[in-house]
Amino acid sequence: MTAKNGNKKSTGALLKISRRKFMGTAAGIAAAGGITGFPNIVQAADPIRSIGLGVSIINEIQGKAAKDLGFPVRGQALGYGALFGKTLNQNDQYEVSECYFDMFDVMVPSKVFQPIDTTRIRDWDKVSNLTKTGKLTPGSQIGQGDAPFHKLWVDENGAPTKGPSRYISAVPGWHNADSLGYNPKETKRSIDSWAELFSSDFKGRVALLNVPQIGAMDAAMGVEALGLIKFGDKGDMTRKEIDVLVDFLTKKKKEGHFRAFWETFGQSVNLMVSGEVVLQSMWSPAVTAVNAEGVPCIYASPKEGMRGWHGALAISAKASGKQLDQAYEYVNWWLDGWAGAFVARQGYYMSTTANTKKSLPADEWDFWYEGKPAAKELPDPFGTPLVAKGAVRDGGSYEQRFKNIAVWNSIMSENDYLVKRWTEFLTA
Amino acid sequence: MSKVSELYHTGLIGGQPAPDDLAIQAKISHTEEGFATVWLITPAAIWLILFLVVPLVSIVIFSFWENSPQGLSPAFSLEFYGEYFYTKGFFDPDADRFLLPSVFIRTLGSTVYFTLVTMLLCLIVGYPIAYFLAMQVQAFKWQLALFLLCMVPFWTSYLIRAVAWLPMLGRRGLINQALLGLGIVDEPVSFLFYSEFGYTMALVQIYVVLGIGPMFFSLAKIDKDILEAATDMGATPFQIFREIIGPMSLPGVAIGMIFIFVMIMGEFATAVVVYGGKTSTAGTVILNYYGIANYPFAAVNALMLMLAMVIGIVVILRVVDIRKEL
Repeated sequence: MTAKNGNKKSTGALLKISRRKFMGTAAGIAAAGGITGFPNIVQAADPIRSIGLGVSIINEIQGKAAKDLGFPVRGQALGYGALFGKTLNQNDQYEVSECYFDMFDVMVPSKVFQPIDTTRIRDWDKVSNLTKTGKLTPGSQIGQGDAPFHKLWVDENGAPTKGPSRYISAVPGWHNADSLGYNPKETKRSIDSWAELFSSDFKGRVALLNVPQIGAMDAAMGVEALGLIKFGDKGDMTRKEIDVLVDFLTKKKKEGHFRAFWETFGQSVNLMVSGEVVLQSMWSPAVTAVNAEGVPCIYASPKEGMRGWHGALAISAKASGKQLDQAYEYVNWWLDGWAGAFVARQGYYMSTTANTKKSLPADEWDFWYEGKPAAKELPDPFGTPLVAKGAVRDGGSYEQRFKNIAVWNSIMSENDYLVKRWTEFLTA
Repeated sequence: MSKVSELYHTGLIGGQPAPDDLAIQAKISHTEEGFATVWLITPAAIWLILFLVVPLVSIVIFSFWENSPQGLSPAFSLEFYGEYFYTKGFFDPDADRFLLPSVFIRTLGSTVYFTLVTMLLCLIVGYPIAYFLAMQVQAFKWQLALFLLCMVPFWTSYLIRAVAWLPMLGRRGLINQALLGLGIVDEPVSFLFYSEFGYTMALVQIYVVLGIGPMFFSLAKIDKDILEAATDMGATPFQIFREIIGPMSLPGVAIGMIFIFVMIMGEFATAVVVYGGKTSTAGTVILNYYGIANYPFAAVNALMLMLAMVIGIVVILRVVDIRKEL
């Protein structure tokens, strides 16, 4: 999850305005608690505030939205924990939260969002079935854990409903599926199962994601693939299942199986580039980044399926009047195509695929969504060349990826117990 | 130093009589013209109240709150303190966790362990450097130049210093290349990095300077005439160190150790970068619970870490009475 939140633009704009104006603006920025500062921040229009991760809060995105919509959008990029906490405990501090469906077991019952009226979402009919029915194509499997479609539908009071409704908890946005990354030169064979994560062939050269909620699921995929235990739901494990999993991981750790545990995108790239690790749980854009460094790295498509995650645009229960209208406009803008094309160049998919297709040049669409070889050199969202001609995106087409989601990112009912046992595993 | 002799000052110009009490009283009661004390301490006091006292009090308050899936709610609950100390099966002789402290206490324990080991190594490495600077280097300009040289690592960011170990100790690092090249090993050794060894070494490298500074200053303060006198009286170098240099440099050692102690107790980044996240420190536990928005439990962990730090500092100050020594 890259975050290129350079503030070059805002600094330049600030330098040009007079000192008095600067003081006023600076006070405004400070008051909003924001770090951005688009050139049009001095406009009279009321701004809206949007919080999210570096995946969706990028100066270019909110800047373009502000330009298209005619009112400022103040984005604030946070870490996952801070986003979770602010979304839950300070819903007067944002109009839109660019959050994730795996947070909704907490957010929906606590009523921090207001139900979104789908009749106000212009392209609602273009949002794919992945989040509406859980199946991208009729033959797809839904996947365990917090599949977005379980969290989507609510009634006019925001209470969850079983099936389709006029109201939704949040508008589905960008998403992706994660699996394993490996260096084929070092593994000397292709990796097609999560079980390989624990293969003794790679002892001391394996890394695991050190975010308990997600890392535990990756590990569970491996343990289940080994046939050691069959989980009822890997996205909602029982205490006993957590114990079995953590005991197994602890044993492996003591044997020296793991080289490291990574927490950030950059760390996972470094581990692979430096040759410390040959196989690890990995996010798809990180694989692209390793390849860009000239180190071979393949994004595996395990036969057991991948771990999916799905972003969403939620509107704070505290938003009202003009700001509520603007929040709707901003959410609608996200579905319009431009943002979908922008995130596609980072390897993420958008819920309104048809609109993204319209906004992406055919070459780029074929590469990112269809899994075809790049017809020419392709750029990243900032215009820097990223994909060499002839390269193929690992993991196949969008459809291939998302019809086989084994488990969705989730926060388990036993989350506190999981975090405690995970701490024990790391201290062991 | 506590005994005041009849002669207040002895130096090249001979003995000087001690100033009479009246003169001292006059000096004490005399107020210099300029800002009143209250104005001098106001900025720091405001700063500390806003950004230290208020947050600290909030942490204490938060630690008693309740945390449900629906968010925080004010309460007076000891639930999270119980969670911190008690493990199921602790009193049960049949359980596999019989008398096994909770994972949080064990994590704090391993944090203390790494801290103490690093402090000891910093003392072993740092004291001779400080001694050399203060005692062996005669010219002040060279003392200053060499001391600044010790600071060079601080010219770059902390994270870069930590990350820079990879090209040195990694599988494809300099040391492994050399070992392979010399034919000492057949394949890269991995105990150098992402290991307890690499972690401790990085901590020493990053924090030793914090100890060198205070030790250097207290060593440099020692009057060379005293050492010369001791030599004249026939004291051996060992006796001089044991009777004079050692005791007189103790305050510097204590202050240096306090700096290092406080910094490493709060460490979490080096464990991630150099140890590959293969251990938990008290800091990572706080971060993890902050990450799942369980602020009360993060607060309990933070308070326990602070308590351990305060105890550590008190112990150090018990061993060395800084106020007396300075």
